[in-house]
Amino acid sequence: MVFVAKIDNAMRLVALDTLAERIGLKRGQGAAEARAMCPALDVIAADPAADQTFLEGLADWCDRYTPLVALDGKDGLFLDITGCAHLHGGEKALISDLLSRLFSLGVEARATVSSSAGLSWAATRYGNVAVIEPGEAGRVLAPMPVAALRLPAETATALERVGLKQIGDLLEAPRAPLARRFGSLLLLRLDQARGEADEPLSPRLPVPSFCAERRLAEPLMDEEYILELTRHLAKDVRASLERHGEGGRLFELLLFRVDGRVFRVRAHAAMPLNDADRIAALFRERLQAVHDDLDAGYGFEILRLAVLRSERLDPAQQDFSGVPEESQPLAAFIDKVAARFGPDCLTQASLAESHLPERAGGFAAVRDVAAVMGSPASENKLFPENRPLRIFTHPELVEATAEVPDGAPRSFNWRRTQYRVARAEGPERIAAEWWIDGEGHPTRDYFRIEDQEGRRFWLFREGLYGREVAAARWFMHGVFA
Amino acid sequence: MAENAVQRQTILSLRDTIARIENCSLPGIVRAAKAADVAGFRRGREGSVPRKVLPFGIAALDDVLKGGLPLEGLMEIRNAETRDAGAAAGFVAALAVLYQQVRKEKGHLAPVLWISQALASREAGQLYAPGLKSYGLDPERFLFVSVRTVKDALWIAETALSVPVFAAVVLEIRGNPACLALSESRRLNVRARAGGVPVLLFRQAGEEEASSAFFRFQIKPAPAGERPLPDGSALCGSIDHPAFHLLVEKSRAYGSTDIFLEWNAHDRRFYPLDERRSAALQANGQPENPVDPLSAPAGRPRRAQPLGRLLAFARAS
Repeated sequence: MVFVAKIDNAMRLVALDTLAERIGLKRGQGAAEARAMCPALDVIAADPAADQTFLEGLADWCDRYTPLVALDGKDGLFLDITGCAHLHGGEKALISDLLSRLFSLGVEARATVSSSAGLSWAATRYGNVAVIEPGEAGRVLAPMPVAALRLPAETATALERVGLKQIGDLLEAPRAPLARRFGSLLLLRLDQARGEADEPLSPRLPVPSFCAERRLAEPLMDEEYILELTRHLAKDVRASLERHGEGGRLFELLLFRVDGRVFRVRAHAAMPLNDADRIAALFRERLQAVHDDLDAGYGFEILRLAVLRSERLDPAQQDFSGVPEESQPLAAFIDKVAARFGPDCLTQASLAESHLPERAGGFAAVRDVAAVMGSPASENKLFPENRPLRIFTHPELVEATAEVPDGAPRSFNWRRTQYRVARAEGPERIAAEWWIDGEGHPTRDYFRIEDQEGRRFWLFREGLYGREVAAARWFMHGVFA
Repeated sequence: MAENAVQRQTILSLRDTIARIENCSLPGIVRAAKAADVAGFRRGREGSVPRKVLPFGIAALDDVLKGGLPLEGLMEIRNAETRDAGAAAGFVAALAVLYQQVRKEKGHLAPVLWISQALASREAGQLYAPGLKSYGLDPERFLFVSVRTVKDALWIAETALSVPVFAAVVLEIRGNPACLALSESRRLNVRARAGGVPVLLFRQAGEEEASSAFFRFQIKPAPAGERPLPDGSALCGSIDHPAFHLLVEKSRAYGSTDIFLEWNAHDRRFYPLDERRSAALQANGQPENPVDPLSAPAGRPRRAQPLGRLLAFARAS
């Protein structure tokens, strides 16, 4: 079986299985040629997006060994296991555990532990050592081909052309001529492989500041048990949070399913939290909301609670008087709603300094209790009076009869009903914001209008007669109380 | 003799229960009998607990509401047509301002929660923050939730009632959904009274239907006054404070059925529309059925009279 993709206008082999390798097929070979060599070949189109998803899923799965997992190109993962190996019984045990678990998931993988990322990369692909001790870098690297240095293809071929086929040749060669001829990247890669230059890994996900984890002998399926365990984990997290005097604002519950899938459930808190019951309550709502997506399958084997964002927790917030402070129940309410309907559901009216009505006001998601209970920020700002209570997000086109050029409408048709104007106030002329919209945007003339039955509307005419448009259009933009 | 006394006691307690169900003060005789102990001592905290109300200062409206706006429980405000949703939203927002002010006087900065069915906001327009501000509400303390279904809206409303932080909870629903019938409204009412929070059920473009709300008003827009000039005359053709035409559809007390009000955002209170204008408006207003042979029933909310006796509303949805 082989996978093909279009490279340089030809269908070429990008991946192949062991059987195909055995009959002599190679990567980069043309698909037609491969078919000629073996007519019974199973050729499948490559799906890079699915490969990427799978690799990310695998990275999630690798979270069980260390929180620092970085993606490496299309087919590799870097795991920074500094300080984690002893939890799994040493580096050798970790590697054999990892590989055997991956094997049972049906993934063929190779892995190497070494003191630098470059060396591990090389050894995984071109060597056969599982664990490389810190002093052995040179000895392991020497017999490997130069391609093991993660070099661009042209540099590697140029090196081979001059006879520098193995890394060992490079190690002995003088550095200055090499840099002059092949660029500084070669030396950087060489140093990184030997562990002499530092190579920072960028983890795929932010590393949580606090986390607690439970590994279970028996997979867990019941939601109630998950919540109960979450509460226990929250208690563990609380201890470390308290030590630092902090409270969590963003929590994440990682559920490692037996078959390798990892679910991440996030919950926001409207104020710094360290109370185990309230953290568990957050997840109770959240799990109910994601209930359908969370397929327990054969159960979860590892649960981890991580605090992704934390803030200083003011000790004054916990009083012993027994009277709940006003902001606390509000925070609980905000958390409950956010956990069930998403963090953007609950909004708060917000004002912006703009003349254009659409930009002057809106609703922003409530993230913080202090924003609601704090002193009003808009108290001293000046805002125009006479704005409607309700506004149409998309102004609705009306047919109006009005005096030309800038009179108020006499009557208009809105939503298939005719309204006769009894009184009108206006115009209030609002020009477009050229620094945002660009020039050439028509000016609007707004009128407050009362019809004969007392309904009050906000209509505007788009464009000035003669100067901007030939025939102006009228829009319904809002209704007053 | 003893049997007589027992019967009397039974009747008194039944009357007491009825009075409590009807949520009004006890009739004089019952109160006197209850206050007077068998031994002749007066007990201090007996009798009905006075209902917490906020008087409007408008006689016609306070009579209908038996003293004023209740500070807890379910109230219903509806409008008949979508195009009147602006006026109804104005009335509801004005009530929210009043509730917020009550809490402010006690030293609490209480937010208002407005729960809206997404459909309702889409049809009648989104609430607009500068408009709310010029109407008298603090934008910071105005929380707004838009949810897709009525069930979600009810869940949020109940959650909000369980925390004693909100000055008022507004539930904006479009039409008469089946999942907000009598039993749900009763549940809301009980929750609201337990939490001590007022719930304003704002039924947009809905029919009247049985609910356990304390009152139900239908709001229609009314022509506003003209802006006053410093010399006492009015500026011709100008539009002053918003005015409302209130139709009382359900209330515990008898009173006039058509009330004309004007909301003054600066004073944060309602004023009655002056007599002359409201009389003119009432005369102008077309009667619902011009050939109705029956006179409007005295002391009852006016509505189209069906044939026969109306025992219960049919489900409107």
